[in-house]
Amino acid sequence: MIETDVIVVGSGPAGSSAAKHAALGGAKVILMDKKSEIGAPKRCAEGVSIQGLEKLGIEPSPRWVTQEIQGVRIQTPDGTDVWLTKDEVKLPEAGYILERKVFDKHMAMDAARAGAEIRIKTLVTGIEKIDDGYMVFTESMGKEEVFKCKILIAADGPEGHIARWAGLRPAAKPKEMESGVQYEMCNVEFERPGVIEFYLGSCAPGGYVWIFPKGDDIANVGLAILPHKAEKTAIEYLDDFVATCPYLKNAQAVELNVGGDPVGGMTKKLYDDNILVCGDAAGQVNPLTGGGIISGMTGGMCAGQVAAQAIKEDCSKKFLKQYDEMAHEELDHEIKRYKKVQEYLLTLSDEELDSIAHAFQGESFDKISTTEIVKKLIKVSPKALLKLGKFV
Amino acid sequence: MIVKDWCSFCGECAGVCPRNLIQVREYSLVFNEDDCKDCDTCIKACPINALEKED
Repeated sequence: MIETDVIVVGSGPAGSSAAKHAALGGAKVILMDKKSEIGAPKRCAEGVSIQGLEKLGIEPSPRWVTQEIQGVRIQTPDGTDVWLTKDEVKLPEAGYILERKVFDKHMAMDAARAGAEIRIKTLVTGIEKIDDGYMVFTESMGKEEVFKCKILIAADGPEGHIARWAGLRPAAKPKEMESGVQYEMCNVEFERPGVIEFYLGSCAPGGYVWIFPKGDDIANVGLAILPHKAEKTAIEYLDDFVATCPYLKNAQAVELNVGGDPVGGMTKKLYDDNILVCGDAAGQVNPLTGGGIISGMTGGMCAGQVAAQAIKEDCSKKFLKQYDEMAHEELDHEIKRYKKVQEYLLTLSDEELDSIAHAFQGESFDKISTTEIVKKLIKVSPKALLKLGKFV
Repeated sequence: MIVKDWCSFCGECAGVCPRNLIQVREYSLVFNEDDCKDCDTCIKACPINALEKED
């Protein structure tokens, strides 16, 4: 049996961030991932905000930044475009499109350099609560091993079992789990280069279609839907979109990505005695955009910091409650507010989306951010004002 | 449950399973069929139609 202070399950950005900060705080950390390659296959459109990375203290690297975002385009069903590029926006600096395969590995390496031990190709097959921690049962290429830790951090994604095995509720109810699919394509044409594009309405019921540029003629073209609002599966909606979108008429897919995105907001309980949950497993995702890299890593950072302190003091839920408070303090503002906006957008018909886009024409913006767009939405739409008046 | 050979093991089905009965390994899915109540939530959630109920 292998004993350690902290075990982190899942080496996505949230788990690696948790492992890094726990190790920096002096804890003995083992970071486990079931996959043979950290970061692949991606389940993500790969967009992050510059501000978010700055807040996490992560220096952008040309190894994993594929494209600096030059603006935003939002198209509604009748083809009306709302553009937010340097012509309309005073400060167009917004974010990056990453290469997740490289980024995720880089984040895991940061954790290793901080002192964490990494075990890839290691699947957690079960856990058992003991007095002073958790037993963790694993399987790696036919070899079974037993670990013992004082704190278990579940960063095992939207499908994660750890939190549920520990008696905590899952991140999302089935109705709040988006079904996502994406092609990485080349030969994509862009009307304005470097712009992230969103297509709203019945092309993706409950979600949206995105085209996120990755340099040259490459882009992630994908969508997410809410299955209970849809008539077809995600891949059928995406193939229909690709077949009719003029910018994709010559596009060729070189990769298919699939995955779920929990958009129901943060889980009620993020902790218990000797356990913390972060990342997608904890619903640390912006419900409007579905983006979860920065929020998951922020959750992971909080979990790691609290875990390291707990190892020195107290691993009971009484102490670990601090993580819950920190995570809510850091993320509620974003997650709770955007949940309301997402719920509002779900009520809009194609015609209503079009009329909002018409009202947006001629508007100018101070900067590119989701908040800025929602503020403008409230300005141009009386119905939005009614539903979201408290947003600002 | 029949898992089609184009399954990508993304875990969407495991995430939505109300009874936590699906384990996603790197290249396989393990279903606990004994406790399954045939709610079909996983089948509907699969983004690429890779699950089918056995007759």
